[in-house]
Amino acid sequence: MNDEQKRIRKKERSTRLAIWMAARSSRNKTFLDRMCRKMIAKAITVDPAKDFMRDEFVDNDQGFDPDELDRYQRGEQLAVGE
Amino acid sequence: MPAPVPFDPQEIVDAEYKERPTREGVTTKRMICAACDIACSVVGEVQKGRVTKIRSSDNPIFKDNICMKGIVAPKGLAHPNRILHPLKRVGERGSGKFEQVTWEEAMSDISSRLKKIVAEHGPEAWAVSTSQWNTSTDHGLGRRVMNHVGSPNWISGVALCAGNTAAINRFSYGWFPFGDFSNTNCIVLMGHNPRRHSWTPLYNSIRSAQARGAKLIVMDPRRSSSAERADIWLPLKAGSDAAMMFGWLKVIIDEELYDKEFVADWTLGFEELKERVNEYPLDRVADLTGCDPEMIVEAARVYATSGPSIIPWTPITDMQRNSTSGIRLQTILRSICGYVDVPGGELLQGFNPDIVNESAIEMHHVLSDEQKMKQLGSKDHPAFTYRGQLAFREPTKRVYGQEYANLVTGCHMATPSATFRAMAGEGEYPVKAFFFLGNNPLMSYANMPLIHKAMMNQDLIVSHEQFMTPSAQLADYILPADSWLERPWIHDMFGWMSTIRFSEKAMDPPGECKSTFEFWKQVAGALDMPDVVPWDTIEDFYDYRVEGTGKSFADLISDTEVYFKKPAFKTYEKTGFATPSGKVELKSSLLEELGFDPLPYFREDPPHDKDYPLKMFTGVREDPFFQTGHRHIPEMRARCPEPQIYLNEKTAKAAGVSEGDWVTVENQLGKVKALLAIKDAMPDDLVRVPHGWWKPEMAQGNGSLSGAWDYSDAQLCRDDPDYLDLEQGIPHLKGIPCRVVPLAAEVPVDTATSAQHMEPAE
Repeated sequence: MNDEQKRIRKKERSTRLAIWMAARSSRNKTFLDRMCRKMIAKAITVDPAKDFMRDEFVDNDQGFDPDELDRYQRGEQLAVGE
Repeated sequence: MPAPVPFDPQEIVDAEYKERPTREGVTTKRMICAACDIACSVVGEVQKGRVTKIRSSDNPIFKDNICMKGIVAPKGLAHPNRILHPLKRVGERGSGKFEQVTWEEAMSDISSRLKKIVAEHGPEAWAVSTSQWNTSTDHGLGRRVMNHVGSPNWISGVALCAGNTAAINRFSYGWFPFGDFSNTNCIVLMGHNPRRHSWTPLYNSIRSAQARGAKLIVMDPRRSSSAERADIWLPLKAGSDAAMMFGWLKVIIDEELYDKEFVADWTLGFEELKERVNEYPLDRVADLTGCDPEMIVEAARVYATSGPSIIPWTPITDMQRNSTSGIRLQTILRSICGYVDVPGGELLQGFNPDIVNESAIEMHHVLSDEQKMKQLGSKDHPAFTYRGQLAFREPTKRVYGQEYANLVTGCHMATPSATFRAMAGEGEYPVKAFFFLGNNPLMSYANMPLIHKAMMNQDLIVSHEQFMTPSAQLADYILPADSWLERPWIHDMFGWMSTIRFSEKAMDPPGECKSTFEFWKQVAGALDMPDVVPWDTIEDFYDYRVEGTGKSFADLISDTEVYFKKPAFKTYEKTGFATPSGKVELKSSLLEELGFDPLPYFREDPPHDKDYPLKMFTGVREDPFFQTGHRHIPEMRARCPEPQIYLNEKTAKAAGVSEGDWVTVENQLGKVKALLAIKDAMPDDLVRVPHGWWKPEMAQGNGSLSGAWDYSDAQLCRDDPDYLDLEQGIPHLKGIPCRVVPLAAEVPVDTATSAQHMEPAE
């Protein structure tokens, strides 16, 4: 096995491990699950400041009020252009 | 797919991850957003039986995958104009007049009329159009019912977006690979421009890859936001993707940068490919693409030497005169550089063995070969039809365990243009019944005038919809559709990926809205074949699909929102590739058998027409909208109130138009109105036309079709032979000749409002 093949094999093993950890992380029930979750979060979180398309619409989302949505659906508040 | 994880113990000590607290009176559901086709894992917050908030997932591997369309979904789907009850047309077709009926009344009449059409004209006289990402719960049931009835004429927008790419990829290596963003060293975007609000997970994956040092190469005529962040930007001419890749191959082969061992052991046709590539010396490629030879050389070297690299799927190469060659050239670059099925490269994931996949649910084996060969378009443009794909049955069985792999639902389709011609009475046989689900076909394919004529010529049109789209306005019946908030879902990216995700139902559907599962179950029952959809509920159906996991759907979804298949690499070393030869076919034996050039080529533009001096492209997504949807949502329209075309200053001046003018874009097929925005990021003589515009607030019915006749870009998309890809018969949407002229006396518009939030480079 040459160096390139060794490098690929190593990468294959680390990818399999990462998928295993992602599965545990997604289950998020046992101590090991949660540890995987923390490690994955640590490894893949990108600094929000480096998000060059940050948007207030996402950052400040408060959701909707259920009663307002009810009134909206009944047509008590008209949509734009109507 | 998650990134590789470090194993420094200190990392564990330092790691912090906090779940978001749950507010009092709020329950949460793990869901998959279907506001567009990218399917982000999100969380729905529920109060008083309603979804009141959509936010990004708590799972770090899906973190930040949220956009404005998902956030606004609780309001958009609560819109007062949502269709809540079955409607039956009462006036002339296109009059816009409907009356409320029951589901039972509708299905009874639909089934008797469909049976009559099938009896008179044959089952092939029934066509269906849908995009499964809009309907979600179809899971191949539509094809299953059609296959039992005997109709092969299913069409979809995936004919020019991902589905066709999947079908063409099979000609080279038998499957449609997915790029391993987490481990790659270099990403090549071919005209694609993933953004915070469009293709959000790809945007995040690219951002993440760049943060760890991966290189980004962007080919795009515009200075897009991705181009601005790229290591190398190749501002090629619209529609010249295939020519550019010939240039890359010339460099990679001449400089021997390819993987010689893989080429020798696992490919066929390398010498013939070399000869073809030699027809494209760099000065010719520079002329065809408009890019400097030095830049082409540099980009090719970076791609070939930084590896493993990926060329992710792009909707741009999908939609060109040279689409088949362009997609094949992508497969060839991936293959000869040794990037197929290796970590960081292009993964051939195969099916998840624990889940009943949608290709199996579709039951293509029950449709006779005689009916398969009647599929519209298959004689002239067979690549993604049954005729073009049937030869993959044996190799697919050998490698992936079953004969049919309808990847991204694009591997056994009729061609849309041939289907609409048949519907219009201009085809090889008549099509007289047309169903469309979660789909606005009038505006979603090329040649809208033809599609309108086709729909007006139908005996029966059935729509399953949430809103009164221009297409629905032409229907006999409109049946109310549920939404992704109101149903569970199993998602496998339509066979493209082996990772399976689950979505919980978060609220009850309003009114009498029903899922596509229920729609097809009722159709099967009404056609006297209830056993074709034997499950009582969608949950029963999902239990059947996940039985191989050893758990019920309810147990699985309470356990996790994602189910992985154990990753495997270079599986071809054991099974060969799923091609007739078992090798990567650089020279395609199947394309040759079908009567086409087995090697890629570049078909140049037709002669220049002085009346149409500019070139236009369409198909670009605007942040607030997905395809023809979302124009009814106030928050989204506030971001983009009017359809806008983009020109640069020089081109606008030559056309005699200025920023904020209403203009028409015209070509030999039709014209559309739009507001002009000047963007210095646009190259000379290129027009960006917005996709999918209509205005729900405008008059319904044939005269206006809610503005579709004013604004829909499908009126400019030609499907005459010069503008169709030869092998697939899909239209060229990236470089259509046109002109821009001023439009006098249009309603004034607040241009300051309309331009805000729109990034200059998009």
